[in-house]
Amino acid sequence: MTRVLVVDDEPQILRALRTSLRGAGYDVETAESAEQALAALAANPPDAVVLDLVLPDGSGTEVTRELRTWSSAPVIVLSVVGDETEKIAALDAGADDYVTKPFGIDELLARLRAALRRVDAPTEPVVEIGGLRIDLEKRAVFVRGEPVQLTPHEFALLRVLARSPGKLLTHAALLREVWGRGYGDESHYLHVYVSQLRRKLEDDPARPRYILTEPGAGYRLAERP
Amino acid sequence: MRTRAELAVGVLASAGAVVLVSAVVALLKPHVPVLSLGALYVLAVLPVAILWGTALAAVVSVASMLAFNWFFLPPYHSFHLRESQNWLALGIYLVIAFTVSALAARARARREDAEQRRAEAHALAEAALDLLRGRTLDEELGRLAALTAEVLGVGGARLELGKQPPRGEERALPVEASLRCVATLFVDEEAVVDEAVQRRFLPSLAALLAVAVERSRLEAEALEAEALRRSDALKTALLRAVSHDLRSPLTAILASADALASPGLTLDPEERLALAETIRAETIRLDRVVEQLLDLSRLEAGAAEPHRELWSVDELVGQALSGLGADATRVRVEIGPEAPPVEVDAAQVERVLANLLDNALHCSPAGSGVLVRAEPGATELRLHVIDRGRGLPPEEREALFQPFRRGTDGRRGSGLGLSIARGFAEANGGRLWAQDDPAGGHLVLALPLAQVPAAVRA
Repeated sequence: MTRVLVVDDEPQILRALRTSLRGAGYDVETAESAEQALAALAANPPDAVVLDLVLPDGSGTEVTRELRTWSSAPVIVLSVVGDETEKIAALDAGADDYVTKPFGIDELLARLRAALRRVDAPTEPVVEIGGLRIDLEKRAVFVRGEPVQLTPHEFALLRVLARSPGKLLTHAALLREVWGRGYGDESHYLHVYVSQLRRKLEDDPARPRYILTEPGAGYRLAERP
Repeated sequence: MRTRAELAVGVLASAGAVVLVSAVVALLKPHVPVLSLGALYVLAVLPVAILWGTALAAVVSVASMLAFNWFFLPPYHSFHLRESQNWLALGIYLVIAFTVSALAARARARREDAEQRRAEAHALAEAALDLLRGRTLDEELGRLAALTAEVLGVGGARLELGKQPPRGEERALPVEASLRCVATLFVDEEAVVDEAVQRRFLPSLAALLAVAVERSRLEAEALEAEALRRSDALKTALLRAVSHDLRSPLTAILASADALASPGLTLDPEERLALAETIRAETIRLDRVVEQLLDLSRLEAGAAEPHRELWSVDELVGQALSGLGADATRVRVEIGPEAPPVEVDAAQVERVLANLLDNALHCSPAGSGVLVRAEPGATELRLHVIDRGRGLPPEEREALFQPFRRGTDGRRGSGLGLSIARGFAEANGGRLWAQDDPAGGHLVLALPLAQVPAAVRA
């Protein structure tokens, strides 16, 4: 059975999550502080971690950074509105995804499933999402069978997203991958390139189905349209 | 104090007066006994005493006596005197001249003193008027310093409130009233200040300043109290408006949860699902109210520092649409590929658009849609959000953006949405207004265009 460690200092949230996750078939362990979490992680490494960003004795970001030194188990962080900076820090420290409190349990389960699925999934040379087909080896992109001309930067951006469909990539991570280290803060370019890319790929750029925006965090390629 | 130039003029005038009187005596000498003409020299002493003081007048007295002796008393052109009674005459003349000049100088000093006092009274009256006229004390200090400098007869002065240490090239004079130092007057180190004037004028000025300082303190307190009262009124209005929006979802949640938890109730699965669904929907509604309150408090506290980046408007509209859920299908978007990017905080503009769309969807009659249209301009991009509702008469349009305003039709919502939208729009250098449109509600959001780097255009 897949083991999930849930870390939150609110007993009510912990209880609701424990019940729901057990109901969904996971083996659940809980921790109420950063210290407890790190101890539990070391004693009995779980397959995935659901981690509150604000803990009484530290931050989820610190726990993530510590965990990433020896484990690649997916981490989903729980954030609140107004905590964007901390959320980005956690994602850049290696967290895989986030949900914003208050969240629906369906949303959390979907993120968790997707993150666990990506752990073993090899990088596919050809990614197909609905009518969008991305051939990473041949550097070719098709929308409903029609080839689409992309500039080198547009393709580089799409390739980074397509390497792990469904995974949230922060602005900083995307800029680093596409433009190299020096561009870490020039988010300007990113939004405009994404917008150009959407105009070439999406039927309705204002209602994107392939390249999804995570407000204030980054972008992800949809797993399914 | 007399300057060197004034003294020179005095000496020249004195010499002139002695020469003039000597000429008159020479003219009258054939007709009148010469000894009696000596008294005419008093006419030279008197104006000098009035205009230049006793010292110069004494010099003129002696000089005129000598001139009289030299030119008119035998033996001529010598200071010797043939007749001894002439010595007596000259002595008497000298005594008279000294006395007259002393009296004249005293009259002059009295007049000067009266003038000085009048100037001081005038300056104080003017200062009092200025301070009463309701301008701030800080603005007045400069003018008061100029007035004081004039009264003290110094080139320039500077006033600072409170007791200040002397600094640099300046002398610090305390402006004290009943042993309390209200302010400090700074004058040039070299400046000569009349002690008597200083003793008389500065305490009066201090008393006046003390009143002004007290008054400005009371005014500040009154202002603060007024601001507090207003923000209290605002908070009360907010709480009243919001408590309804908080309580009604809470009531629905509590009732549904009670029903689900009650062992005595027999519920079929469909009913259980409906109750759970109610809890879900009402919780989402509650979350929205809380978010609006947070937005509002962030804006009120001036903490809505936008993090501005380049964004395409279709992406911003897309983010707002994805937050709308099922209602998003009622929104038609007309944004051409030519719409230029804007430079804004995406999260904040998303809040603006979400509130605008929410409002438009609420105003629209069931079944009709909402249109979002982009209109690129030279410096800004305008997003029109148009609904088919009743619209608003011009006089009610501005009130739309006041917090706590509810639709007159009694529709739901705490009336915070549009005021938050305008707050965030303006924080991002944009504007938000209601436009005249006979077809229905029509709000326009103008966002500042971005300077697109050449690398991105290519």
